[in-house]
Amino acid sequence: MALLALPAAAQVKSGSEFLSPGMARQQADETRNPGFFWVEQGEGLFSARPPQGQACIVCHAEPRQSLRGAATRYPQVDAASGKLLNLEGRIEQCRVERQTQPAFGHESAELLAMTAYIASLSRGLPMDVATDGAAKPFYEAGKAFFERRQGQLNLSCQQCHDGLVGQKLRGDTISHGAGTGYPAYRLEWNSVGSLHRRLRACSLGVRATQFDFGSPEYLALELYLAGRAKDLPVETPAIRR
Amino acid sequence: MSSSISLRSRAIEPNRRAVLAGAAAGLALAGLPAPAFAAGTPELSEFVARITEGAVPLREGVTLAIPPLVENGNSVDVRVAVESPMTEQNHVRWIHLIADKNPFPDMARLHLGPRAGRAEISTTLRLAQSQRVTAVAALSDGRFAMAEADVVVTLSACIDGG
Amino acid sequence: MFNARITMPAEAKAGEIVEIRVLTRHPMDRGGQSDGKGGTVPRKILNRLTATYAGDQIFRFDMHTGVASNPFVSFTTRAVATGDIVFEWREDGGATYTRTSRLTVT
Ligand code: HEC
Ligand code: HEC
Repeated sequence: MALLALPAAAQVKSGSEFLSPGMARQQADETRNPGFFWVEQGEGLFSARPPQGQACIVCHAEPRQSLRGAATRYPQVDAASGKLLNLEGRIEQCRVERQTQPAFGHESAELLAMTAYIASLSRGLPMDVATDGAAKPFYEAGKAFFERRQGQLNLSCQQCHDGLVGQKLRGDTISHGAGTGYPAYRLEWNSVGSLHRRLRACSLGVRATQFDFGSPEYLALELYLAGRAKDLPVETPAIRR
Repeated sequence: MSSSISLRSRAIEPNRRAVLAGAAAGLALAGLPAPAFAAGTPELSEFVARITEGAVPLREGVTLAIPPLVENGNSVDVRVAVESPMTEQNHVRWIHLIADKNPFPDMARLHLGPRAGRAEISTTLRLAQSQRVTAVAALSDGRFAMAEADVVVTLSACIDGG
Repeated sequence: MFNARITMPAEAKAGEIVEIRVLTRHPMDRGGQSDGKGGTVPRKILNRLTATYAGDQIFRFDMHTGVASNPFVSFTTRAVATGDIVFEWREDGGATYTRTSRLTVT
């Protein structure tokens, strides 16, 4: 397994490379990719002043520069709490602690929009999460999860997303599961959804436990996927089947 | 025009065949020539006949571009082009899209006119399953033209539980 | 939440045929699914888009449940005079939404 993991990881490709030409064109075309509606909504929310409290943009002036690249470094360990935070988690932290507003909530249109907006500011930049130091135990936990067989089908993530890459599974072509385009617009959802929503679909696919949005299990998995996807560009909002 | 279609078609849902028979009677389908039935399933030709008020559409001049293998029926790109000079005297009035196996077969009608310059549209459709998609164009001289395409709709591998 | 992205050239020569591309944010809820309370969700779709330009309706899109969520549509029009192209959507229940794009004809 260890032997397998290294060379495979060096060749991890974006999910976009497994799209049909039609969907790849649609993803690249802002006049066709509905994901940009969420980006636009997020951009609006970012400058909107809540009833009591400051707009995000007051503290994060010039977000196109100041937050450019931020998404490439998530998930990361929060220095103060020692917890692993993904981009959604960091946004909610600012929302609650700094903006003093109620959390948007997982999978709410607002959190998806804000996450899509902030991630879109890093479009084209290479993923670059820390997997050592304080992040190491989380990364290792994510890796173990990825390699563990699970569910009624007794399949690991790795069996599909390393071993069967390029194979057809019903309507899908199995990719490396890089997850570098999330939040993404999925035709199946008719909407934008988070990476954790996608992970829940894969867990269900093998009849395994579906963990909650923002659960420690999926956060660790997200860190592992992000580490594995090192140097792949951020593509949010991607289009997926 | 569209509202009468939606009323009739909505009524199709509970008992499509029975209601269609009624609708067909109202449209005096009895005189419909046989060739219209030769092409597709009887039901599909009934849908077409309802839209053309019994007239048999020409099978030329309409290009219907739709992927034969669809990755997800939730959003399917379709493009329709009709050969027409699009002048005041000779133009396409509308293009109607039908999916005979959708719960609601009438998908859309796009009204054009001489101001369009070109009779070419594209849109995104929802297909409930593998089936035949039909585009019917109404021409300004009272005739109709149509094209059909068979579409296979595959399912997505991981159903969404979240 | 409704939104629309209209893509067309800002300028055209008189007589030129321009392509208008419209992407809309709307769930196009076809209805009929369980609402979790013993009832069903009512249909809520955009049922019509009209475009008017230089005094005339140049395009009308009658939509039923067979039109995708967040639908896209493209059509063409001949540039005749500088003016606004006005897009109006009608939603089940009667709400309407409008957007305007200017076409300068040279
Ligand atoms: C009162 C000021 C303030 C407000 C309001 C605020 N933030 Fe922050 N935000 C901060 C500070 C301070 C940091 C931490 C900066 C650091 O440590 O690099 C931060 C960090 C972040 C980061 C992580 C940046 C990175 O490079 O890792 C994101 C993303 C973010 N905020 C988004 C938001 C959003 C979205 C909102 C509005 C919902 C918001 N912030 C509101 C002050 C604020
Ligand atoms: C039975 C095979 C299978 C297993 C096991 C499986 N997946 Fe997937 N997964 C798929 C398919 C098929 C897709 C959709 C096509 C694609 O992008 O790979 C997918 C998509 C993904 C994506 C989205 C990729 C993108 O770019 O959109 C991620 C991330 C992912 N899976 C992660 C996981 C993780 C983590 C696990 C383990 C919990 C897992 N998958 C288990 C088949 C599987």
